[in-house]
Amino acid sequence: MTAGQTPHAMLVEPDHDDYVRQCYVADLRLQMLNNFAAGMKDIYQDRVKPEFEKAHHRAPRDKREVHQIMMRDPYTRTWSSMMRAMQEMMWDAVLPGIERERTALAEMASAASSKYSTLKLDPAVEPPYYARAIDIHCMPGGYFGMVSEDDVTAGALYDRGVYVYQMGLAGGLADGIGRSVAEFIRRRYPDLNARAILDVGCTVGHNTGPFCDVFPAARVHAIDASKPLLRYGHARAESLKLPIHFEQMDARRMSYPDDSFDIVFSCILFHETSHSAHREILREIRRVLKPGGININMELPPNESLDPYDGFQIDWDAHYNNEPYYAANTSTDVKALMAEVGFGADEFFEWLIPDFYFAPRQDFEAAAQAEQHAYSETGRWGEIVHWYGYGARKS
Amino acid sequence: MTERNVGERPTFFDDPAVDQLMAIIMAMSGELSVLYDRVDSLERLLDEKRVVGRDEVETYRPDEAVEAERKARRGEYIQRLFRIIREDGAHLVPHDHMTRYQALQDELAND
Repeated sequence: MTAGQTPHAMLVEPDHDDYVRQCYVADLRLQMLNNFAAGMKDIYQDRVKPEFEKAHHRAPRDKREVHQIMMRDPYTRTWSSMMRAMQEMMWDAVLPGIERERTALAEMASAASSKYSTLKLDPAVEPPYYARAIDIHCMPGGYFGMVSEDDVTAGALYDRGVYVYQMGLAGGLADGIGRSVAEFIRRRYPDLNARAILDVGCTVGHNTGPFCDVFPAARVHAIDASKPLLRYGHARAESLKLPIHFEQMDARRMSYPDDSFDIVFSCILFHETSHSAHREILREIRRVLKPGGININMELPPNESLDPYDGFQIDWDAHYNNEPYYAANTSTDVKALMAEVGFGADEFFEWLIPDFYFAPRQDFEAAAQAEQHAYSETGRWGEIVHWYGYGARKS
Repeated sequence: MTERNVGERPTFFDDPAVDQLMAIIMAMSGELSVLYDRVDSLERLLDEKRVVGRDEVETYRPDEAVEAERKARRGEYIQRLFRIIREDGAHLVPHDHMTRYQALQDELAND
């Protein structure tokens, strides 16, 4: 599994035991999400739901009600207890090796050249409250943790952690989502002629990289509020020869002029913000987007319209894995929010993008041409490999 | 050390000790697997290179220096295995009483 991560100068090579420890967590995670979680759904259908229906003369109303009754079930409690412990184990398996290399990583990031990729930091950018109130997804130190001014542990931890979390399924550069959306846009809008592209909330640039390959004529920008993630991301991109222009910026107040970009995208950003930030960032995205430009935001699918059980299952992380805005985000009417920030109803779209690495190529091509509207499946690794996104083409 | 800010750590059983035991057993299962893989790597390499036959391992006894190294490694092992007791004791919160976390959820949803 974990041997498949594409090497670059900043990647901390795990030693023998760290390596097999990470492999074990990835294997365990796959079992938990597939086999053990399937057992929980069986219990719901065979026992918990019928018992509820008998007592209340109706089916559970929504994901919140399913959540309440399922959390009383012993199997669900055991699964939950294991899930939380497993998330902590994942970071425990990744962090020590990175801490051992901390000084060397900081020095390498400071010494990184800017032959391919550039970096512009802004000390005036404050970590947004929503991203620092708690360690999101239990990542030790969160996105902003630094033991010294030049520390890039957060970047290294995120780079390796995401790879282990994905069980290697999103490719050697952990760029499955970015790759899928870039390839999709190119096929769907052959006339776009993108010259400037922006990744909002880029972290270390995992999902930015594919846009450099797919749109070689475009200048690719990437912003994030976190200094350690950007410093790591810049050194990583430099080593991988990716021409990404990183800038430290609060996405709620971008410094770009109006109508700057042909494509503005985000990958799994919004569920880690807050409701007002969600709106403010979308408003900024619309402002910096050129007329005719495409905005696409890859996210967890809105789940109020899903089966209440699936909504509960998707939202588990929201409650017990330190993702404090995730449940509110999956309940948000994104079409209404997009309208609120000025996108017309006729500009709005929702896409289900087949994973570029997994889908047969003809299925991917067909999806890029097809009429897209409804979503019915989730975007979780190890289940169905489809990515949900919403956005608009600005007129 | 990296400073953690995990907030309220949910427990799922009526007795939080069960959640602690669960986390320990999970970590232990991982460490057993690590150990197995390591021994497997070694024995295969040694056998492949005809350095040590698998039966020689059975009769090996460590000297004092080796024992000291093992002691240090065991120390780290114990730290890893029992992290939940060392760090999480004060903020274990039953999953249906995570009031601070829920307040944060509300705050971020409604800010």
